[in-house]
Amino acid sequence: MRDEPEGRFVIGEVARELRGSVSLSASFDDGVMAAIRALPAHRRQRTVWSRLTTPKTVTIMPLSWGLLAAGLVLFAALGAAHAYADLHRAAKPIASALFPAVKKPVPSQRVQFVLVAPDAKKVAVVGDFNGWDRSHAGYQAQHRGGGVWSVTAPVPIGHHRYSFVVDDSVWVADPTAPRVVDNDFGMPNSAIVVEEQK
Amino acid sequence: MKVVAGRVFAIVLFLIAAPVVRAQDPRLAARLDKPTFKAVNAIVDSARLARLPTAPLVDKALEGAAKGSDGPNIVAAVHQLSIRMGSARRQLGPGSSADEIKAAVSALDAGVSVHDLALVRAAAGKRSVTMPLTVLADLIGRQVPVATATNLVIQLTRSGVKDAEFALFQRNVRADVDRGADPTVAATTRARGLVLRTAGTGGKPLH
Repeated sequence: MRDEPEGRFVIGEVARELRGSVSLSASFDDGVMAAIRALPAHRRQRTVWSRLTTPKTVTIMPLSWGLLAAGLVLFAALGAAHAYADLHRAAKPIASALFPAVKKPVPSQRVQFVLVAPDAKKVAVVGDFNGWDRSHAGYQAQHRGGGVWSVTAPVPIGHHRYSFVVDDSVWVADPTAPRVVDNDFGMPNSAIVVEEQK
Repeated sequence: MKVVAGRVFAIVLFLIAAPVVRAQDPRLAARLDKPTFKAVNAIVDSARLARLPTAPLVDKALEGAAKGSDGPNIVAAVHQLSIRMGSARRQLGPGSSADEIKAAVSALDAGVSVHDLALVRAAAGKRSVTMPLTVLADLIGRQVPVATATNLVIQLTRSGVKDAEFALFQRNVRADVDRGADPTVAATTRARGLVLRTAGTGGKPLH
């Protein structure tokens, strides 16, 4: 019973101390901060695996990432289409080798080209069917006598432009073929339409 | 943020462009100088994206190289050809073949209007217009007036004249002109004879 008033006194003193204003010296904050800085730096040992597996919050800009997502979808679609086309093209020769009976004949016809050039020493046929290559062996005309030069060569089915090259320098349109009004390079061309024989 | 947006945009452009870059024709690299090669390839790639046939463009560049033309002239010719091919396909329809487009370009070069191309297309229906347009360009090249030649070819096509008959018609007109006949008279006379024969075998009569 005697301790009770004494205890109340102590509690009252503590409460008064706590309620009272506290005054710290001006250098207190600086002292605390200096002590904190003096502590060794805290380092977290993070492995690559932990970096990869630790969840993170990512900020996404809708426009940028939307464009990126659209690009990826487009890339995938185009890539799939091209891959299909390439696969189809690559499979053709394999199928032809495996099944020769299925192999289609080359869609071309043999066409005779004739030019009368009495003074010529060399005549070649050039056109889009031989890459405009005047040295192409299959399209060198032979002299048949009397100034007549001719060659019979395969020409793919379809519409083609061509010309004769005389002595590697003079371009001459075929006088027996339809003309092409084609002045891009200032030299004449002829046209031929090769059809599939039925 | 601007830097990030720019990078994203560049990545998207790359992703879009990457799959459509194809192997180039090795003949172009062999016969054209580097700047011309790059310029021609760019035009060819554009045509491919527009779903135009690219072989005629490559052929045009090879033709220019074979004829000794300079680079800028080759690029200009290929570029002009791609434009004319686009015009031709618009008139002939998206299902037109590469040969039809090439023949249509020849007709345009000869002076036929895009409107008349559409008329030839309509007259032919689902048949190919390659031969009619080839003969049309030839007639104009032999000094038959554009309007007359176009009208004759449209009527022949509408009458159901076949490709082999068109070829024979062209040879006959050429032979007549070579013998001294007036080109317009020769073409008109031969066309009438052909239509009469075609009408006799079940074709449509000349209107």
